[in-house]
Amino acid sequence: MPVIPVAGAERFANLPASPEETRRIVGDSLRLHDVDQATVDALDPLTYEVIRHRLTSITEEMGEALKRMSGSVVVTDCNDFDAAIMDEVGDVVQVGLYNTELAASLDMAANWTLRERCARPGIGPGDMFLCNDPWVGGGLHQNDVSLFAPLFVDGELFCWTGAVAHQVDLGGVSPGSWSVGGSDVFWESLPTPPVKIVEGGEIRTDIEDVWLRRSRVPKLVALDLRAKIGANNVAHERLRALCEKYGAGTVKAVMRRTMDDAESRLRAKLRELPDGSWTSVAHQDSARSGDRGIYKIVLKLTKDGDRLVFDFTGTDAQVDGLINCTFAGLRGGIMPVVLTMLCGDIPWACGGIYRCIEIISESGTINNATFPAGVGKASVASAWATMNVTTECLAGMLDTHPEHRKRLMSVCCGTWDFALLAGVDQRGLGFVTMLCDSMAGGLGARSDSDGVDTGGLAPIPMGRVADVEMNEFAFPMLYLWRREEADSGGPGRFRGGVGASSCFLPYDSPLGGVHLVVSAPGKALPLANGLSGGLPAGTQHDVLLRGTDIAAQFAAGRIPGSLAELSGSTDLLPAHHETDLGPDDVYYTHWQGGGGYGDPLLRDPVAVAADVVAHKVSPRGAEEVYGVVLDADYATDLDATTTLRAALRRSRAGVDDKEIPA
Amino acid sequence: MAYVIGIDIGGTFTDAFAADEHGKVAGVKTPSTPPDFSQGFLTVLDELAGSLGTTTEDLLADTHYIVHGTTSTLNALVTGDVATVGFLTTRGHADSIAIMNLEGRYAGLGADQVQDMVRTAKPAPLVPPRLVREINERIDHKGSVVVELDEDGTRTAIRELVAAGAQAIAVSLLWSFRNPAHEKRIGELVAEEAPDAYVALSCEVSPRIREYSRSATTIMNTQVGPRLRDYLRPLEAELRSRGFEGSLLVMQGSGGCVDSADAPSRAITTIGSVLTGGVVGCTRLASELGHRNVISTDMGGTTFLAGLVVDGEPVSTTSTVLNQHQLNVPMVDVHTIGAGGGAIAWVDSGGNLHVGPRSAGARPGPACYGEGGTEPTVTDVDLLLGIVNPDNFLGGRKQLSKELAAESVRKHIAEPLGLSVDDACAAVYAIQNAQTADLVRKVVVTSGHDPRDFVLYAFGGAGPMHCASYAADLDVSEVVVPLGPTAAVFSAYGLAASDIVLTAELSAPSNFPVEPEVFNGAFAGLRRELESRLSAQALRFSEVAYRNEVDMRYTMQLAEVATPVPTGELDAADLDAVGASFGQRYEQLYGRGSGFAEAGLQLITYRTQAVGVLPIRPTLGAVEQSSGDAQPTSQRRVFLDARRGWQDADIYDYGVLAEGHELKGPAVVEAPTTTVALPEGCVGRVDRLGNLVIRYTQA
Amino acid sequence: MSVFIDENLEQDDAGLVSCRHCSARVGVAADPLRDARVRESAPRTAGPSVRAEASNFTDREVVFRQAFCPECLTLLQAEIVPADEPSFRIRSLKLVGA
Ligand SMILES: [Zn+2]
Repeated sequence: MPVIPVAGAERFANLPASPEETRRIVGDSLRLHDVDQATVDALDPLTYEVIRHRLTSITEEMGEALKRMSGSVVVTDCNDFDAAIMDEVGDVVQVGLYNTELAASLDMAANWTLRERCARPGIGPGDMFLCNDPWVGGGLHQNDVSLFAPLFVDGELFCWTGAVAHQVDLGGVSPGSWSVGGSDVFWESLPTPPVKIVEGGEIRTDIEDVWLRRSRVPKLVALDLRAKIGANNVAHERLRALCEKYGAGTVKAVMRRTMDDAESRLRAKLRELPDGSWTSVAHQDSARSGDRGIYKIVLKLTKDGDRLVFDFTGTDAQVDGLINCTFAGLRGGIMPVVLTMLCGDIPWACGGIYRCIEIISESGTINNATFPAGVGKASVASAWATMNVTTECLAGMLDTHPEHRKRLMSVCCGTWDFALLAGVDQRGLGFVTMLCDSMAGGLGARSDSDGVDTGGLAPIPMGRVADVEMNEFAFPMLYLWRREEADSGGPGRFRGGVGASSCFLPYDSPLGGVHLVVSAPGKALPLANGLSGGLPAGTQHDVLLRGTDIAAQFAAGRIPGSLAELSGSTDLLPAHHETDLGPDDVYYTHWQGGGGYGDPLLRDPVAVAADVVAHKVSPRGAEEVYGVVLDADYATDLDATTTLRAALRRSRAGVDDKEIPA
Repeated sequence: MAYVIGIDIGGTFTDAFAADEHGKVAGVKTPSTPPDFSQGFLTVLDELAGSLGTTTEDLLADTHYIVHGTTSTLNALVTGDVATVGFLTTRGHADSIAIMNLEGRYAGLGADQVQDMVRTAKPAPLVPPRLVREINERIDHKGSVVVELDEDGTRTAIRELVAAGAQAIAVSLLWSFRNPAHEKRIGELVAEEAPDAYVALSCEVSPRIREYSRSATTIMNTQVGPRLRDYLRPLEAELRSRGFEGSLLVMQGSGGCVDSADAPSRAITTIGSVLTGGVVGCTRLASELGHRNVISTDMGGTTFLAGLVVDGEPVSTTSTVLNQHQLNVPMVDVHTIGAGGGAIAWVDSGGNLHVGPRSAGARPGPACYGEGGTEPTVTDVDLLLGIVNPDNFLGGRKQLSKELAAESVRKHIAEPLGLSVDDACAAVYAIQNAQTADLVRKVVVTSGHDPRDFVLYAFGGAGPMHCASYAADLDVSEVVVPLGPTAAVFSAYGLAASDIVLTAELSAPSNFPVEPEVFNGAFAGLRRELESRLSAQALRFSEVAYRNEVDMRYTMQLAEVATPVPTGELDAADLDAVGASFGQRYEQLYGRGSGFAEAGLQLITYRTQAVGVLPIRPTLGAVEQSSGDAQPTSQRRVFLDARRGWQDADIYDYGVLAEGHELKGPAVVEAPTTTVALPEGCVGRVDRLGNLVIRYTQA
Repeated sequence: MSVFIDENLEQDDAGLVSCRHCSARVGVAADPLRDARVRESAPRTAGPSVRAEASNFTDREVVFRQAFCPECLTLLQAEIVPADEPSFRIRSLKLVGA
């Protein structure tokens, strides 16, 4: 069914507004605090550094508070959340080191709220606004729920703080709000534009009921709402004390200068790099269950002097399915890479960093989709693909510079391997959970070293996976293994980090089995490309074995170490799938590594041998891809390797008849 | 006569403190002697005897026990000089120590390093793949056997590991804390196949849920156990040969000590051995001074350590991070936050001034040392601001160069920022103090407390130069600078005043409340284990106390909170009270309304701590009382507060101060091992034990 | 003065792009791989990292496309993409002074 335009949706199709435009719209309905440039210029280095450090410290405290109070594994164990301090119009002054993808569009949501809510219902002290509308911002798909709060000082709106986290279920057709069969947003969780859920410091119970009613796990969502309230409260208490001590004008001047500083330092770095353009593409296979299409996002990044233009012209039109993302998602795909690869040593003040960036994108494309396109998995679909293509282009730009190339990575784990389990747990209680093992993806290779094996995901500097024991305690499952997978890291002179796999069966549920939702592309083609002749990482690989002999093997004292050791029928799962697992069914999910860097035939043969010993590369991979010959003890045969490499060099290029000087 | 002795061996200095039961005390300091630290141990004993006016033989003959804080375990792990360990684990899960829950890529790193994500990396796996074997066996979350232990396969694996060079074997199987049968059987098989190998079982070292940190803890324990044994055995023999008949005790990270015979089997508990002495010292001094809540700050040349004492007890944590590995080791919660006096001040590419976190370390050290350091450090700034007397640094042991310090500040800070050298120094001093306040505040707040309820103690060479400023930012009620006989050897004093502390724990995750019999049974088991270990310590205790706690959480939340539990048999109503007390503790930590009781409670881990109180507690004697006002020995220009600029300050020699003396800021007190800065608005008073107590008369 | 485009390629003032390993001409600024030797093969030829045939998941043909230095045959660029798509991957440095 084609997407039919919805009249009235345009009001929510948010685009960032300038501070001047925002002030004009707000007009007299609300007093916005401001500070003149003279005060910013007059800041002494001492006051600036002291207050800047304190703002960083406050952001960390917000993150800590949210993490400790939350009830979602994705928050507490996987750090799939973030927090930020924004100025009075929503520009981000400081973002936490958690999932930066989420925080990249908080500014849009706060700014929209200012413009659209200042008159009615009004914005006052103690208010907090909740939002999970990806068109407005504040998150990338409906599961990303943001709560942002204006801080008033002396009757003026001084600044905003915001917290955002992934919620495990907010309704929609499939558990986890991951409607793999969906064709548009109406199959998914209902997007909620900014709503004043906390008024004058108290939760509005009527609004909260409306909010929670949609979820399969309302208690969990209620708990996380309180966690976000707590995070904002912590920040407000600290910011108020800061304003009392130094004066609101001085604190604001520091906020302005923090953003100016990030901007000017990024511009200075850009000026050190040659001008040029870097074009690339990122793919996704399958937009919904049953779909066999492949979709592309094309990016031409142009660096001219001290600015970057991201031009997505040529990107495919939005599709029926759940993989599109909104403009907020597109920004969420760009910012994490800008932060990690360009701003490793620059303050993460996105408000200043965005000033160096221009985005050209046509509305109605898969990474700038219009309502009511399906965007239910946007964060790990088109937003993620945007991140992959941004990684390639920015890495290409950095590769030209002898110093800055040390901070490039090839594309990291090409997507999120989504596996959702739902059912009744071993204690007889209903549960819905997203398995977060695939947080341990491989990172992309660097220009001078290998990518980190099972090192995480590109936008989350501090990801984490739960222990097998914690998962087996919390959910009705039993693992056969969780292990790194050989050859999953993109081959190269420097190898991409390997991904890993988990293999488990339903265990100890009173129902016997569990419900499973699978959503993971990268099966028809790999998603994490290599650089400078490095090869892509491996493909995603999910296999469901039906009716195995696992019980008999256990009874016989054996734990299968591979799928081949199990009997039963083998289902190679497509990218999107929803099914039930029975007690004798075994599910195997293998997520991706990072792309490689440089020609694999140039890799140090000793490093290849070490990789084989450590199960990072298979003997077959060592021979076929790296051209390294090993003896029985996995030591390198250097002469045989030289011969094999010379032969491979010819055969892989299809020139078997031509002599190449060694 | 009956002495107790504390000996603290750090990387640079070996400190000793002795006290007898009548209040006679002595403290001495000598250089450490790596790699054989026991040399310094024996030397410092000689000096201690000399200081007490006796011979080493007489001193040792009269000593009941020596409490030893040792860096040897930590040092072995940091330098990698450890036993070669073979690792046995459940089939399918060998990669747990390589995956490291992925957090191994950044665990324990500072925010600036985490932000520079592209340059982060995991450490090498604790055991290389060639020394790891997977065993066919499986136990489930209830403790039921799913797959029987493959004994033949296990024997083969053990033989292979030994053939591959393993000197010690670590065993960590899934769910072994629920059902230790397979691990214990493997322990027997190792004894048969490799009778000489040191072996550690995770169900004994760390019976706590979460296999990655349990395995890491067990492996590290196996790596250092043999090394600690090889260090302590000859040392103890040497002491015996010199006439020592008492007990040699080893300090643990938990802030309590353990008999040296018991220490190697739980070697991993000693990794915090040298970090905790200061906090224990604060705890003892606080009890003398009647302070219930203390922030302990120890600012040395290269590190700044912060710990807390709440209600008279050190605040502890149940885990720690070492070399980016997550370990289950109960520890006094000592935070290393940023750098100490060696913290480097620098200007970034945007023209902003920063202090730390990079440190000049001991080598080359600050620019003013004249040992090749060119970047300006906090110590250089302290010198230029008139706080440090260049002729009296470390009691005159090191001459400092003002010229080199000024040159480094001018070149790296003043000129890039267009400031005078004075203003640049003032800014660095203020930034360092404000950042320290931010970090200390975070330590206090994240443990659920309000800094205003605390007294701050400041020690270490550089702490007293800054404490009046960073403490002011925290709104603490007063600041204590320990300056009595313990000053130079504060950690060693803490060791001499410590107790035997043993901890036992067991994870048994379940919904809460559990049946009272199950609950009481779990604690009875832990109690029996501790009683048998205590009786093996061969020591007389004046009292033995047991403390029980459970790690609990709300069903859907993953952050567990250690909740105290009364000892004795509890009934259902008592258990409800435990649940309520968890809720209160949770709200104290995470804020009002953060708890979500409707989700239900879960109990994850039972833990019991046994404290064997040792019969001799060092008491500190009073110093002389003052007659008349304190007399400054000189005056010099100092810059202690950016709002006030350069001021004339009175300089006092601590050696001539007495109880009751009051010193009004701006002033500087020069003591043998440190210097105390008193900005305007502070008054320092010498208390009866010779400490300087700083109060604020104005902001 | 030349600038490095990446590990394998450099570009001179005139905008000529050559191989850093053997100095062979590979292309020009606007199309740095213009003269590279391009070869397409089945994705499985990229090695054991490709776990299953693309035809299980899509009806479009997918290829492993490699671009090599025409002289020394160093691998300059590798991608696994739909066969009917051109290569979008272009690194184009602006000419200095242009
Ligand atoms: Zn070439």
